[in-house]
Amino acid sequence: MKKTIALALAGLLAAAPALAADKLTVLLDWAVNPDHAALVAAESQGYFKAQGLDVELIAPSDPNDPPKLVAAGKADVAITYQPQLLLLVDQGLPLRRIATLVDTPLNSVAVLADGPVKTLADLKGRRIGYSVAGFEDALLGAMLAEAGLKTSDVELVNVNFSLAPALASGQVDAVIGAYRNFEIPEMALLGKPARIFAVEDHGVPAYDELIAVVAADKAADPRLPRFVAALEQGATYVLNHPEDAWAGFVKAYPDLNDDLDRQAYTLTVPRLAASPAALDPGRYTRLAAFLKQAGLIKTAGKPSDYALMP
Amino acid sequence: MASSPCPAGAGASPAVSITGADLRFGATCHFEGLDLVVEAGRTTCLLGPSGVGKSSLLRALAGLAPAGLSGRIAADDGRPLAGRVALMDRRDCLVPWASVLDNVMLGARLRGDAAEPERAAALLGRLGLHEALALRPAALSGGMRQRVALARTLYEARPVILMDEPFSALDAVTRYRLQGETAREIAGRTVLLVTHDPGEALRLGDRVLVLAGRPARLTEVAVPAGPLPRDPGAADVAAAESRLLAALAAEAA
Amino acid sequence: MKQIAAGIATLALLVLFWQVVVWLAAPPPFILPGPAAVARALMDQGGLLLRHGWLTLVEIVAGMAVGSLMGIGAGIGLGATRHLRHLLLPLVVASQAIPVFAVAPLLVLWLGFGLASKIAMASLIIFFPVTVAMADGITRLDPVLADQARVMTGGSARPGRRLRLIRHLYGPAALPALASGLRIAAAVAPIGAVVGEWVGAAGGLGWLMLQANARARIDLMFAALIVLAVMAVALYRLVDAGLRRAAPWAAPQSPIS
Repeated sequence: MKKTIALALAGLLAAAPALAADKLTVLLDWAVNPDHAALVAAESQGYFKAQGLDVELIAPSDPNDPPKLVAAGKADVAITYQPQLLLLVDQGLPLRRIATLVDTPLNSVAVLADGPVKTLADLKGRRIGYSVAGFEDALLGAMLAEAGLKTSDVELVNVNFSLAPALASGQVDAVIGAYRNFEIPEMALLGKPARIFAVEDHGVPAYDELIAVVAADKAADPRLPRFVAALEQGATYVLNHPEDAWAGFVKAYPDLNDDLDRQAYTLTVPRLAASPAALDPGRYTRLAAFLKQAGLIKTAGKPSDYALMP
Repeated sequence: MASSPCPAGAGASPAVSITGADLRFGATCHFEGLDLVVEAGRTTCLLGPSGVGKSSLLRALAGLAPAGLSGRIAADDGRPLAGRVALMDRRDCLVPWASVLDNVMLGARLRGDAAEPERAAALLGRLGLHEALALRPAALSGGMRQRVALARTLYEARPVILMDEPFSALDAVTRYRLQGETAREIAGRTVLLVTHDPGEALRLGDRVLVLAGRPARLTEVAVPAGPLPRDPGAADVAAAESRLLAALAAEAA
Repeated sequence: MKQIAAGIATLALLVLFWQVVVWLAAPPPFILPGPAAVARALMDQGGLLLRHGWLTLVEIVAGMAVGSLMGIGAGIGLGATRHLRHLLLPLVVASQAIPVFAVAPLLVLWLGFGLASKIAMASLIIFFPVTVAMADGITRLDPVLADQARVMTGGSARPGRRLRLIRHLYGPAALPALASGLRIAAAVAPIGAVVGEWVGAAGGLGWLMLQANARARIDLMFAALIVLAVMAVALYRLVDAGLRRAAPWAAPQSPIS
């Protein structure tokens, strides 16, 4: 009898840490998609749980909200883009990067493969669609400058989130904001294969497409190192076991079990940050200088203005 | 003052009649087998209590086919009545957006005929409204509005005029004056005037009919001969009024 | 004059309330900027706001014109004959039931990113109120007048009777009801134009608000919002004044005097 009670008590004590797991809200940049592979793997493989974290992944209704909500203290972590972070910090939002999910640019200018645009110079006088407003014109400006054009030589149209349909239907001659791992397979599946011009190949400094940010005053939050540790385990798992990771991905999100997401997942795996916590200060310095020159930010700060330095 | 001539184009005013009239609502029969003749060129006043069915008879003659009423409508010259009738209601129903002059000419506009502003102005002038031609109905008193309605009715220049309690909404003095002016203007036409005022019936009617009872029956009450409008103070008119009231009371019993 | 003074007083109170909220709650400027910051944005970006404001204004006015004409036509159709009514009524009700946000991307796909899709959006959003108001007005002619018209035109065979009746009787009689519908349209058309711009555009106040929001320039976003609000109020007052002029006999009266 005593032994049973002792065993039961021991079991309760063992379960106690799990019962006391810390909650953490993560606002994604967009609906769940293969770019979030490391996060989803960390969740589905139990790495967050092992770190004593109860992580909630939330997709926003307005992609511009997550960083603002985190800066205002309404959520813990936001997923955003490195250029977006620099823009927001310049506007006074107290945000700091803590980890990287995708450490290459994904953004590109996309045109129809059999269309009239063969080089960037061919964009002269043409119509270019873009989605989430923010820094597209800076990226485009640099790419056009490399081709000897000015932004006034093209017509920019906000097509909101219909990048692929707009390009496929010919309503626009090119789109910027097309992710080379998503919109490109999407175009192929629509029967209108596209060709891309990667931003970092044409005058834009390389940057981290997808990063995790927190409020600046959270530097000492004990949950964050555990979050990043679990994220790294998730990334490692995806890199080492891509097929199993995909199975876990569609198990968690069955409605994403389609051709497009499968192809996108395969294209995303090589671009995941193998070491999410690793920080290249030079990237922040170069990108800040680039954005300042494009007139998008007023002051180019130091890397410590943008990231929690390890 | 000379009465307005009956327009030659419409022909002399015919006698109109409704024969075999039944008025039923559900299970209630208000009257059946009624014959009403409105004599040619004379004013017939139809008197009776409220709800007896006088308005239904009048509206049937106007071609408005009121609910519950059936009967045969005819003119004594055999031609259809449509287009030969003018209607005047107790509510003036002038259109609020048009001037007095345009209100009078409304019928012509709806028919697509040429409007005759001089004739309309002359009619209004005879009724004392020469200063109101450009005014909107909202600017007029009730009596003036009913005069405009009368002018509109006369402008139609129809040989048959049907009037449904046209003065009942006016005060006594205005009513009295307007009765006199109306009598002058409608002389020579076939007129059916429905009223619930015995005095009015006696002033204006060449012939006075009473519709009363359950089921209702038509009875004629003798009225003195002589020109219209009658003087209500005359002895024979007063006698006729008591006969009229007796007839009304008797039918109500 | 008294009306304008009252309006300014209300405005001043609102601005004061806003400033007090900002003082008390001290929200970060990227959530709620204070009136001073927004005023600065209004002044600094005046040219930008005017340029985009003009675009949106064109969309709203054109949308109102197209939508009102369509609504008047449909309203007359609904009131005119039973067959037309059975045909049109489901379409009209559907036009209201479909949420604007669902239709917007389709319109942009069909009509492009220029003014046409925004004008179509604004027209669509006011079509139902105008149609229903017109149909209501045109079927509510005083029965005594309707009788009078029947007696007056009975036996007359000249063609075009229906049209003359609408022009001289049913149409003007319907103006008060139609005016109500047009007042609603003036208030609601701006929404259609802005939603159209959110979905796909190269300019306009809605587009500008999106851009400003993405760059965390909330003061500029508020400034654009204020310009839009001013435009909407001015449009409403203009339409109201125009309706009073066109139909002075139908001007709204205060029920309590």
